[in-house]
Amino acid sequence: MQNMRMPEQEAAEDIFFGQAVMIWARWFVILAGALIALWAAESIAELALAIGFVVVLMGINFFVHGRYLMERPANRSLLLLVAVVDTAIITLIVLAWQGRTGMESPYFIFYYPMVLAFAFVFPPAMAVGYTLVVIAAYLGANFLTDPGILISSRSLEALTMRLITLAAMGALGAYYWRVQRNRRRLAAEGSAERVELSASAN
Amino acid sequence: MAEKKEKTQPLIPEVKPEELAWGQGVVITARWILVGAGLLLAVWNADSLAELRVQVLVILLLAVANFYLHAQLLMRRRTLSIVVYGASAADLAVITVLVLSSGGFSSDVFIFYFPALLALSVAFPTMLTFLYTGGMLGFYGLIGLASVDANLDNLQILLARLIILGGVAFCGNLYWRIENHRRRAAEETREQLMEQIQKRQARRPARA
Repeated sequence: MQNMRMPEQEAAEDIFFGQAVMIWARWFVILAGALIALWAAESIAELALAIGFVVVLMGINFFVHGRYLMERPANRSLLLLVAVVDTAIITLIVLAWQGRTGMESPYFIFYYPMVLAFAFVFPPAMAVGYTLVVIAAYLGANFLTDPGILISSRSLEALTMRLITLAAMGALGAYYWRVQRNRRRLAAEGSAERVELSASAN
Repeated sequence: MAEKKEKTQPLIPEVKPEELAWGQGVVITARWILVGAGLLLAVWNADSLAELRVQVLVILLLAVANFYLHAQLLMRRRTLSIVVYGASAADLAVITVLVLSSGGFSSDVFIFYFPALLALSVAFPTMLTFLYTGGMLGFYGLIGLASVDANLDNLQILLARLIILGGVAFCGNLYWRIENHRRRAAEETREQLMEQIQKRQARRPARA
């Protein structure tokens, strides 16, 4: 039996079902960000600025999550736009938050769930593109804060480690996306034997 | 009156070997990344010979174990579930040893937890993912508390790390659940369609 779904329909379903992962990934970043903003701010101005970023992310996520719950989920363009805004906000935090900037910033970890969630929702080619954008943004933030980063072997080591793991999140997410697509297609085609054999091959 | 037998659900549901096999590709790839990056970083800027020996030995043992699991997968042989679960626990244990041997909280090695947690969260059922992630977060939290300078800044960084690590495992397993649901829906649609076709075919001779 042939697969009854068109590739376009499958892609739309990927976005429809998968965006829950993007929404929850953003909630985790918001939770950690709000905690840092409330806990670590040392002046009213600093708290107001930090909470501003958190409020922007929360506003975006309320909108996207609300639509999802009403079964009118965001479309592909909106999700792409939101992903770019996420990346920009995290990069700003890495660039400017509380004197701990660039390589010294501990908040680069916010990139990880965002890259992973994106790779689960969009096709591998787009996931690779987004991962590269995030890596470029992080590299750019580091060069802006400390242009001599390549001279220090310690910094270069830490940077390499972070970039490898960040790229791994995008690559593993995209790999699993492909595994799941093949598995779904096989399930729709309905041959149990083929499902088992392909499981071993994957 | 026949007594109804109550079926008790096991806390950790049994997983079919072929079900585990689907996620194994991701787990094995994540482990190769850990081995490759771990070796590179162990050799880069090694502080002492003793530390380097421990790190290289641990990483090579992991590589041998992963080669065995990869070979099983390529030969389409089913690996025992207990081996698969043990290997993932070993991944987390190895990263924890590396974190401990390189300074605890101040070590950047904790970022290797991200691909390891991602891999197990898309390969294992929710309860197992919860147990593995909870255990790992507990251990890392204790290591962090034991090795962190007692100031609020560092504590909030530790807490942020724990939240984001937990978030990655949560998102991975959420996707695993969504995909299971989609696949079952696809199977049901197919079965319903097959039933309808069979019913129509069965009616035809009667009409004739």
